[in-house]
Amino acid sequence: MRSSRQIHAWLLLLPALCLLVAFTHYPVIKTIARSFFGFGTRWEGKASLDNYRFLLEDDVLMQVLFNSFLYAAITVPVSIILAIAMALWVNSKMVGRGILRTAYFTPTVLPMISVANIWLFFYSPEIGLLNKLLGLVGHGGINWLGDPSVALYSLMAMTIWKEAGFFMIFYLAALQTIDSNLYHAAAIENASKWTVFKRITFPLLMPTTLFVLVNALLNAFKLVDHLFILTKGGPNNASNLLLYYIFENAFSFFDTAYAAALTVLLLSILVVLALVQFGVIEKRVHYR
Amino acid sequence: MSSFLRVAGLRRIYDSVAAVDDISFEVNKGEFVALLGPSGCGKSTTLKMIAGLEQPDAGSIEIDGSDVLAKTPGKRNLSMVFQSYALFPHLSVKENILFGLKARKVAKKEQKTRLASAVAMVDLEPHLNKKPGQLSGGQSQRVALARSIVSNAPLCLMDEPLSNLDTKLRADMRSEIRSLQKKLGLTVVYVTHDQIEAMSMADRIILLNEGRVEQAAVPESFYNEPGSTFVASFIGHPPMNLVSHNDFQLGVRPEDVAVTDGNGNGVDVIVRECDYQGSETIVTTDYQGSVIRACLPGKRSLQEGSRVQLQWLPEAEHFFDKQSGQRVDRNSVPPFQFTSSNNNTYSGGI
Amino acid sequence: MWLNALKRTAAAAAIFAVTAPALAETELTMFYPVAVGGALTKIVDGIVADFETANPDIDVNAIYAGNYNDARVKALAALQSGDPAQLSVMFSIDVHELMDLDAIVPFDDVVTSDEEKQWLDSFYPALMENGKVDGKTYGVPFQRSTIVMYYNKDMFREAGLDPEKPPTSWEELAEVGAALTKKNADGNVETWGAMIPSTGYQYWMFGALTKQQGRVLMNQEGNETYFNDPKVVDALNFWKDLGSKHAVMPEGIIEWGTLRQNFLEEKTAIMWHSTGNLTTVKNNATFDFGVAMLPAGSELGSPTGGGNFYIFKDATEEERAASLKLIRFMTSPEQAEKWSIETGYMGVSPAAYDTPELAEYVKTFPPAAIARDQLQHATAELSTHQAGRVRKLLDDAIQSVLSGQSTAEEALDSAQKQAERILSRYK
Repeated sequence: MRSSRQIHAWLLLLPALCLLVAFTHYPVIKTIARSFFGFGTRWEGKASLDNYRFLLEDDVLMQVLFNSFLYAAITVPVSIILAIAMALWVNSKMVGRGILRTAYFTPTVLPMISVANIWLFFYSPEIGLLNKLLGLVGHGGINWLGDPSVALYSLMAMTIWKEAGFFMIFYLAALQTIDSNLYHAAAIENASKWTVFKRITFPLLMPTTLFVLVNALLNAFKLVDHLFILTKGGPNNASNLLLYYIFENAFSFFDTAYAAALTVLLLSILVVLALVQFGVIEKRVHYR
Repeated sequence: MSSFLRVAGLRRIYDSVAAVDDISFEVNKGEFVALLGPSGCGKSTTLKMIAGLEQPDAGSIEIDGSDVLAKTPGKRNLSMVFQSYALFPHLSVKENILFGLKARKVAKKEQKTRLASAVAMVDLEPHLNKKPGQLSGGQSQRVALARSIVSNAPLCLMDEPLSNLDTKLRADMRSEIRSLQKKLGLTVVYVTHDQIEAMSMADRIILLNEGRVEQAAVPESFYNEPGSTFVASFIGHPPMNLVSHNDFQLGVRPEDVAVTDGNGNGVDVIVRECDYQGSETIVTTDYQGSVIRACLPGKRSLQEGSRVQLQWLPEAEHFFDKQSGQRVDRNSVPPFQFTSSNNNTYSGGI
Repeated sequence: MWLNALKRTAAAAAIFAVTAPALAETELTMFYPVAVGGALTKIVDGIVADFETANPDIDVNAIYAGNYNDARVKALAALQSGDPAQLSVMFSIDVHELMDLDAIVPFDDVVTSDEEKQWLDSFYPALMENGKVDGKTYGVPFQRSTIVMYYNKDMFREAGLDPEKPPTSWEELAEVGAALTKKNADGNVETWGAMIPSTGYQYWMFGALTKQQGRVLMNQEGNETYFNDPKVVDALNFWKDLGSKHAVMPEGIIEWGTLRQNFLEEKTAIMWHSTGNLTTVKNNATFDFGVAMLPAGSELGSPTGGGNFYIFKDATEEERAASLKLIRFMTSPEQAEKWSIETGYMGVSPAAYDTPELAEYVKTFPPAAIARDQLQHATAELSTHQAGRVRKLLDDAIQSVLSGQSTAEEALDSAQKQAERILSRYK
């Protein structure tokens, strides 16, 4: 009886399991194998650590890793703070909030590639909107994507613009589940707006923040579409990010083996981040 | 006693429909007043306007002699207990109770003493460090009360505080709230749709209907002298029987109706249903298409469809104007004529 | 896969059923890239439709695949997935890598008749340089370009310059550029003298500057590079000087993707760009513009660029034959003429310029012939084994110099060393 039920359970799990194995586990294992047994696009007979040794020698990789972490460290908190601020604003009772909500959400609906194409022209030094605005105040303009000390931040700005609207939707949904009586109760206690946010709204949004944080961090490492349009990682790798570097190695350089080693590195980073988030932060988030 | 809360000409309009339509009443210091009425009668809206959570379209509200309309809720010196308790789910019981004191930046030491006395009053000591999610309904209710108590506000507004509790707990909490109110000398405005709550707790009841005050009086007069057919049918369980006759309506409480076998002097009716409720049986009868209920002590079983006669004392009769629904003096009403089987007429009473 | 096999069987069967050619159908999949703006996909679709009308037994599935990089990725991915393309237009400089991957066949193995062999010899020799390895032809030129100099005649007139005398040497470029660079009251530049793009294909632009110094960047075998040759270093210094010393060009990086718009909005008087932009510029310029050969350093020069046809090894005999038919159709003088007029890419063979239409077009619109005329000074585009990685070394070096992160000597030395390490395996 027990075993037949177990068989039943496994049978029910089978379809999902097949998909998972075929599209997640098998590729992961193959990637790991390739990182040890591959050279270029070929398979070598015996395992070697050459690809991993090259990781340590690769100056570009060091720059790319630094860029990636800086990118995450800035885009994630800024877009979360913006998302909360926008959600609070849009959630308030005011005229035209429907239009505002749509306006904030639009960047999210647009594909990353088209957004990047639009921003390419914003950033263009001579004809771009940003420098024209700077010109109004007599500033000579900035080479947003062409200056190595600015390019990465330009990418971040676009990412934040794109991501914040998306995260706002989650916060908006969360805000609407908060019992309005809690705010009434706080109002009767003469709590200031800041107290209300600090002691009620923000803590109650924590589960959403965790969710958004996980997504934002993963996106910071996963979303590189705009690099193809905006900088291609340039100038001189100043805006190169890990996943784009993997792409370059795999498809521009045809060094699939090294790309596999880089992928293993990326996977490890993501796993560690996920463990930290769920292990440490989750303990402080759940109040029910 | 001077009136502590004075509401005059209060009006609130939603989408061109008046939810509260010219409501005026006063509450004395230390008085427990229930705002009673069916859902949608405007009682909660009225309470929210007193609290300052909603702005009236017209009218005035005075608390302790000063006009509070321009004041924010936090400046009106009142506390409020919500139907959903409105406890902060992420804060411990202790933090929930202290929330207001911290927001008002009350000194730490005073916070401590006020917390201790409030907690003692509602028996919450063992639960101070729990989160609201770990509390039962009754315990949550006590936290809400404690929050109100620590505020030391002289006026407490309660919005259906007991409706989420089960029947037995509700009865216990009724007397507990009442005794707390007396002990603390609180002025309470208590919103409820439950007439038993209103009857058992309130010094005075203000019955609202469609945004207006239907009757404002001590609880007994709602039962003994309902001011209108609305009051008559709202108060009492089952509600007062109402039978139309010419320009008037005759009302008799089911508790005052007796049933006889059908050969004497009485109103001829047909038995439709007997509903046994333990201490009493409610007999539903049909009088020429109108329903008349009788509430009989103990268990009674009458054959469905059988003919019986109903009788009541003349003193048990109430009369209302058919048009306005307002109570009228019995002397201004011509005798009611009921048809009976032997072609006699029964004009009420025995 | 199974369906494909079925189709192949059907196609094979059709060879024998000579009496019923209408039943025979060969299906071809072809990827092609677009690296410049404009409605180029429509033009390709039009040519393909014409081909299908003329050859009802061949069914062509032409897929637009993004830029050159994307096209290569998609074609190779299709190849690995087992549902491959039979031919594709890909970067002319991908040839070494495609050979290393054993993905393509030389055209010499596909052409059979004398007529076909003649066809293979009919193209401009300069355009064949990137397609030939070890004496065999792997790529046939299709959307080919050189870099040309577009200039705004109106702005020349305004600056008191002769609009018919574009700069012909590096010195003149600096002088003319200085005359064309205008500043506003704040001292900020409003319009620039010249712009050379330094993203996307900067190694290509650099190829022009080095050729103008009489140098090439690599050998024909694609296993040696000459990045740190003193003349090559000079070329990069000149590029940088245009911005930092002569101040006729913005300092730092100039975006390939928005440069044409800069030119059309008259933010720069001169731009170096692919001739593939010619028709779009012609249709959108609101001012009088001219096109000239790039100015000379010690000599004239530009690399060729653009896309070649390749035939994949996986294709069956019949598919190869059908592919050849399609390629011959698309590179025929009649089609090349149309393609050139509609895009600005050059006609790939002298015969294309002999067609009445293109002859007439060149007469009324002389800029259309500049790219062709420049061919005699042209050299191959940077193409090596592990081309992506090597190209990136040069790309990064150029950007690091232009953005002021390092000197030309340092950057090119380092790029050369790394390239040598990568290429040592291919000697």
